[in-house]
Amino acid sequence: MIGLFVRLKLRLIVGNLRGDLVRQLGFGFSLLAAVICASFGFLSFSLVRLVPHDLAVDLVVMQFTAFTIAWIVVPLLAFGLDETLDPGRLSLFPLTTRQLATGLFAASATGVWPLASLVALFGAVAGLATGPGGVLLGLVAVPLQFALCLVTSRLVTTALSGALRSRRGRDLLGVAAVLVVVLTQLPNLLLRDGLPADPLEAVAAPAAVLRWAPPGMAAHAIADGGLTGLLELATVAATVLLLGWLWILALRAALVRPDTTGQAAAVRRSRLGRLLPEGPLGAVLAKELRYARREPRGRVIWFTAIAVSGILLFTLRSPQGWQGLPLAVGPVAIAAGMIGIQAANVFGIDGRSLWMNAVAFGRPRDLRTDLAGRQLATTVIGVPLLTVVAVAAGALAGNVVWAIPAALVAWGVLGVSLGVGALLSVSMPYTYPERMNAFSSAAPGQGGQAFVGSFGALLGTGLLVLPLLLPVLFGMLWVSALAVPYGLAVAWGGRRVASQVGFRRLPELIAAVSRPA
Amino acid sequence: MDEAVRTRGLVKSFGSQLAVAGVDLVVPKGSFAGLVGPNGAGKTTTLSMATGLLRPDAGTITVAGFDVWADPVNVKSRIGVLPEGLRLFERLSGRELLLYNGQLRGIPRAEVERRAGELLGVMDLTEAQDKLVVDYSTGMRKKIGLAAALLHNPGVLFLDEPFEGVDPVSANTLVEVLRRYTASGSTVIFSSHVMDLVERLCDWVSVMSRGQIVAQGPVEEVRQGRSLNEAFLELVGARGHGDGEGLSWLGSR
Repeated sequence: MIGLFVRLKLRLIVGNLRGDLVRQLGFGFSLLAAVICASFGFLSFSLVRLVPHDLAVDLVVMQFTAFTIAWIVVPLLAFGLDETLDPGRLSLFPLTTRQLATGLFAASATGVWPLASLVALFGAVAGLATGPGGVLLGLVAVPLQFALCLVTSRLVTTALSGALRSRRGRDLLGVAAVLVVVLTQLPNLLLRDGLPADPLEAVAAPAAVLRWAPPGMAAHAIADGGLTGLLELATVAATVLLLGWLWILALRAALVRPDTTGQAAAVRRSRLGRLLPEGPLGAVLAKELRYARREPRGRVIWFTAIAVSGILLFTLRSPQGWQGLPLAVGPVAIAAGMIGIQAANVFGIDGRSLWMNAVAFGRPRDLRTDLAGRQLATTVIGVPLLTVVAVAAGALAGNVVWAIPAALVAWGVLGVSLGVGALLSVSMPYTYPERMNAFSSAAPGQGGQAFVGSFGALLGTGLLVLPLLLPVLFGMLWVSALAVPYGLAVAWGGRRVASQVGFRRLPELIAAVSRPA
Repeated sequence: MDEAVRTRGLVKSFGSQLAVAGVDLVVPKGSFAGLVGPNGAGKTTTLSMATGLLRPDAGTITVAGFDVWADPVNVKSRIGVLPEGLRLFERLSGRELLLYNGQLRGIPRAEVERRAGELLGVMDLTEAQDKLVVDYSTGMRKKIGLAAALLHNPGVLFLDEPFEGVDPVSANTLVEVLRRYTASGSTVIFSSHVMDLVERLCDWVSVMSRGQIVAQGPVEEVRQGRSLNEAFLELVGARGHGDGEGLSWLGSR
């Protein structure tokens, strides 16, 4: 049974690569990355031998814990559920739960990344073991730690599999992905005010607690190499068995759980429609505002924009960093650019439903109205947001009045980026992947377009706002009064040209944003 | 004969594969027309080109006398489309989807609301009108898609597999609405695999096989006394493999 599942997993990996050069290249890269990660991981684990032994133990305890957490989080974010991880796909085969559990366990241990993790973990034996006892215990501790990672990860995905199969669950997971990316910035933010006086203390304090968690025990056992280590390993093994038993229970429950996707709640009929102008422009504006709220990608985009603005504000405010007027204007302008980048592929968010617009549009003017509605929607959300950021930046920079030029410049930058985005939307359209993940922004084979699109948006916007931004940064504040008319003009020109080009290319546009993903 | 849809020498290839190889499709005005053919015959490709969603490699298409690719303004206001795959704006509710569609076509809001309300009622979607389309069942999606296609009262309706995966109750609703629509002199052209349905509903049929029209005309004329299914199998040159050698192990034991 184990062999069968391992072969199934290998067959799936190979089948995924067949005939598609881009995927083969992607697999080559991920293979290379795995080899590098494995060797680098092994090296970094074994290099702790160079530091004092107590500190080395603390470091490995932290690393083992981080490894376990990564094993829980990364599969959820990157893949949702792949075929070998979804027990629902296997529920019709005549398998006992135990067979299913061992099979799924074997399948999840198969693959490039599990192998890389195992290799890296063995570095801890090289780094920590002090005698033959340590080496012997290490050879047991590392596979146990590896099994712990797998079982915990399996338990979490299985327990969540019901939620992950429903639309709401998947929507939430997509937003959670961004949250995790933001959280990775947290240490950076916390440490910005300078490291604690004693860096060793910063490691020792959490390690003293984590040392008693199963991953910490596994790490400690390698260093100990004696009877205590043996007891600790027994505890880890018991934990693995307990988690495995819980996993079997969760699996059994998941296989018979009813599919709840059909029971959907109604949305509130908002009064929003009444407030908006009548006609095509109002219709597009209403649709875009609803999408920003309801489509997980829309939520992610705006959440990212807010988070990045906040992070920028705080990270740039260091003693060696920016000061005075640039600190007030700079982050706000960058935040405006960040919001503007999402306009570089406005039709991507419609994706396969873009035909509905296409069958209604008989002349370029219709497409221009569509673009105007989308620009307006971004403005309606973006301008208040940028205003808040501008006031915050002014306050942080020491002069709230600076918020006025900062806000004006940011509004102008937003307008410019919307104009550039309209052009890129019709010249470099691409499909967003159907299942959101934190690591890929385009359908297979369209990574190039996505890269050129985002990079073009940055470059184009950057060049066009220079004549605006530079004088203001050098103190010619009156130039900021021109920012809004300038931004409006670029946005208008952008959508005018884009509608002419885009209308002629409508069928190609639809094809580009409707790729299977 | 007044023609609602007429294509001449329509050709489209994807890479080295020739999907549509010179199609001359004719649909008379006011007819309930079926476009039938096996999988991969080029039905969807033909309908996509006829509705301006896919650019043909060669050939011309006229709808109600206007060239689809030279005169999109006149064509697009006269056609309603329900493409394959039910790709709709998933994060709008059914009602919002209709309002969006109507206003995008420049119909005044009050009029759109009136028409949307009536269409939702006829399609039996009033209860689900405030749910998101992403949570609709297949039958509901086909119905809301058809409602969106009818909203601006088009003269010609293109439907790609409108009955696929639809429960009998919803299918009946779809049929009734479409019958009423063609009775007033409007044209429906739809693709399907289900011969019985085409035979029952249609007065005109075009049979496609391997990218070409192999027969076309009033249903009576095409089937020539046989059932449409028999005529179809003969036309596309299908040969059954179901009663040959092999499968001796299959059956009750």
